[in-house]
Amino acid sequence: MRKLANIAAQAAQALLANKGRALLTILGIVIGIASVIALLGIGQGASNSITGRIAALGNTILTVLPGGGAAAEFESGGAGGQSNPSSSGGMPFASTAGSSLAEKDLAELQAVARHPSIRAVAGVVSASTILTINGHEQRVPLTGVTPAYFAIYGLTAQHGRLLADEDAKEKRLVLGSQVAADLYGSEDPTGRQIKLQGQDFTIVGVLAKGEESAFRNPNDQLYIPAAVAMERLGIKNYSSLVVQAAGDGQLEPAIAEVRTTLLETHAIADPKLADFSILSPQDLLAVTQQVAGTLTALLTSIAAISLVVGGIGIMNIMLVSVTERTREIGLRKAVGAKTRDILFQFLLEAVILTLAGSVLGIALGVGVGHLAGSLLGFAPAITPNAIALAIAVAAAVGLIFGIYPAAKAARLNPIDALRYG
Amino acid sequence: MQPLIELRQVTKTYQWGPEKLQALKGIDLTVARGEFVAITGPSGSGKSTLMHILGLLDTLTAGTYLLDGQDVTRISKGRQAEIRNKEIGFVFQQFNLLPRATVLENVLLPTVYTNAPPPLQRARDVIEMVGLSEHIGHKGNQLSGGQMQRVAIARALVMEPSLLLADEPTGNLDSVTSLEIMELFRVANRRGTTVVLITHEPDIARLADRTVELRDGRITAKARGGRR
Repeated sequence: MRKLANIAAQAAQALLANKGRALLTILGIVIGIASVIALLGIGQGASNSITGRIAALGNTILTVLPGGGAAAEFESGGAGGQSNPSSSGGMPFASTAGSSLAEKDLAELQAVARHPSIRAVAGVVSASTILTINGHEQRVPLTGVTPAYFAIYGLTAQHGRLLADEDAKEKRLVLGSQVAADLYGSEDPTGRQIKLQGQDFTIVGVLAKGEESAFRNPNDQLYIPAAVAMERLGIKNYSSLVVQAAGDGQLEPAIAEVRTTLLETHAIADPKLADFSILSPQDLLAVTQQVAGTLTALLTSIAAISLVVGGIGIMNIMLVSVTERTREIGLRKAVGAKTRDILFQFLLEAVILTLAGSVLGIALGVGVGHLAGSLLGFAPAITPNAIALAIAVAAAVGLIFGIYPAAKAARLNPIDALRYG
Repeated sequence: MQPLIELRQVTKTYQWGPEKLQALKGIDLTVARGEFVAITGPSGSGKSTLMHILGLLDTLTAGTYLLDGQDVTRISKGRQAEIRNKEIGFVFQQFNLLPRATVLENVLLPTVYTNAPPPLQRARDVIEMVGLSEHIGHKGNQLSGGQMQRVAIARALVMEPSLLLADEPTGNLDSVTSLEIMELFRVANRRGTTVVLITHEPDIARLADRTVELRDGRITAKARGGRR
């Protein structure tokens, strides 16, 4: 054991004797490790940030969308609602065309007594309208809702009141906090009239600032009664239904209840032919985390290529070093170093180099990660796992790329090494 | 008493493709414990090959080599390294110090390859013996040629070997320094180390107890040196 420690000390001395070269040698490893650490940290940080926003949607809220496949939903619900400014000819608001979610679906689901796993259900009509804010015309999300909507998302009134059942057929409106601030500053606009593409609406309240989630910012929207929205759009169906389960544990039963009820109401026997789909927060979480994970893996494997390049750099310098130190190797053998002693020393030199590179690289990577995170607006998550991985990979790179030069050194014949070195 | 070195009918043949070169053609040589022997001869006579075989840096083609009564003719490279470490001290023409290591670190180099604690006192003693106590912390590349060869001798003696092998140790030194270095070998020899010295300089060979002359891979003369 003492002999191994002695040889390790020789390896360290050999590297310290040539600090400048050692530093240049490990530059590739430093950059490689720094990229891996920074990218893993940024990827994990982004994933955490998205997860947080999805959690803000509510862990117990299901969204029922019309149509069979989830992909088709995003097509018609998302794009149709937001990006159709030119078709405003006959219709005051742009929105979705046909939908399979009718009034009777809402009514069935609202028979809460029959569904103990469901706490509340609301219908949503997604649309948008144009407001003039600070002299600029701006498209603003307009949401037609049934009154339960506010309670489901935990939205409360800052001024005035929320929409209630008696407003169902009235041209009344609740403002998101950001829209209210943009239009009226800090003033309470309750009771004022606002013109939405030719129609006068009365403002009955302003929402308190609510938490933004991945897909919805409650603060930049206008809310009107769902029935009024349908009438203005000339449609009879909801864009979506939101269902609040009775609790965390009730999510799965609630999904089953909603599915059974809607299949029954729509008179569909085969669940595969369902003309609606149910999105749970877990589904969204799984999809986004999978996307984030794939992206992180992709970026990290690109960064890992630079580690291989760094390892080749170390191998080159070690090969040069073996040639330069031929005479030293011959001397060490003459005074009693065995082949494996020389192998051990040179392998250790390579591993010390890559480990030192990994320490510098981790420091640099953490720095870059935080810089990028502050520019992108979230905290990078640099986990102990990522650091352990970086150190393990660096040691492996040292071993893999150090073995050839070390074997070359160890194989030298002492006579030749002393004579020609 | 058992001789330290006993070579019987040793031959060494180098082969490059179809071409064969017989460097040693049947050497019989006995060196008693405590002797100071010079091996001399012109270049190409085979004296370097003989030194490599004596120092277990190379293996012989035929014949027998007994070192301290032990047959070392066919032993593994690992065992060769162990014997070199414990029983043989080398001094080379080119000194071969580690340039960035101190005198003390250079002297301690053979002790790296042992499992014993570093013999610091022993290292200081041999450094004092070669007269470099004041330079103990100097780097190898801050020394003169004579000083470097003194460090090399201290390094060869630190493991207390039974055999000191010197290959043209004065080849790179002026005549005054050469005599000083030869005096150090004398001192080591008086303290019990067997010294085998390879040189092509007759003036240096004369300082040994006995001279063995090689020519074309054979021993031509075994003459007594001038000292006894």
